[in-house]
Amino acid sequence: MDFIQYKRPIMIIALVIIALVLMIAIGFPLGILSQNPDGLERVLIDYNGESWLENLFSPWTPFLVWIENEYLAGIIGIILTTVVIVVVFYFIAFLKRRRREKS
Amino acid sequence: MHIPDGFLDLMTIVVLWLIVVLVMILGYFKMGKVFQKEDSEKLIPYIGVLAAVIFAFQFVNYPILWGTSGHLVGGTLVAVILGPWASLIVLFLILVIQSFFGDGGIIALGANTFNMGVIGGIVGFYIVVFFMKLLNRTSLKKEVKVTISTAIGSYLSIILASFVCGIEIGIAGAVPLDISVPTMVFWHLFIGIGEGIISALIIFFIYKTKPNFILTESILGVE
Repeated sequence: MDFIQYKRPIMIIALVIIALVLMIAIGFPLGILSQNPDGLERVLIDYNGESWLENLFSPWTPFLVWIENEYLAGIIGIILTTVVIVVVFYFIAFLKRRRREKS
Repeated sequence: MHIPDGFLDLMTIVVLWLIVVLVMILGYFKMGKVFQKEDSEKLIPYIGVLAAVIFAFQFVNYPILWGTSGHLVGGTLVAVILGPWASLIVLFLILVIQSFFGDGGIIALGANTFNMGVIGGIVGFYIVVFFMKLLNRTSLKKEVKVTISTAIGSYLSIILASFVCGIEIGIAGAVPLDISVPTMVFWHLFIGIGEGIISALIIFFIYKTKPNFILTESILGVE
């Protein structure tokens, strides 16, 4: 595998992680970021009250929800997203190339 | 705009899942631009980087008015870079990972992908195309035209997605339809401003640093 072609993307991913960590660390105290409910949550809270969050029924327990540290969650999320997207797009590229070669 | 599990009725869940799966299958066959060139696979690591950026931006909320916040969805942004069909797959995979963290339901993934991928991505992209046609009559530089069109397209697609999301939660009975639709649209009139600005800045940045990563110039009709 030619790792040189991944050097730049990996460096950018590292920068994205650093930027996210910095955003979380200083964004909330500075007021650039907010933990207030988003648009959909605001609509649901305004109509159903705060309790709707506790009464939610989920037949699935989200797999990674036990990660309570937001820094760790952000880093794992970024790495997981990158890996999944790259694997899926390489697979699609492989299928497309095979299809092109057959025809 | 991530709908959690347990909110939508079965019919809405099934119908939206079916639509999303069918559009993704169609998208696979129509997703030509990303893999048209022989060396296009070299761009795949950068698609991963783009997804990481979208995930990071969706992870953090910016404040708007009256104790409410918003976050980037990125559907139109990804569509302008990779094309509308590839954007749907990217958004779907990001939403899958977010649902594992409890941000948006796993069963409601079809609805969330419909709102943020189909409306936010595909519909948003064609809004951008429409505004590009208008701006092509001006003498602005191409990167400025794409940046402005992306800002407007991102803004309008978020409002449209919030309108559809309002209908979905209204039909499900979580909030009456006559309340859910206007309030969802009201909040996203403000949230969409952030979406438009962030998307436009990222597009402008890519044009300045790696312009060949914008794969849709021919579809956008960039002149």
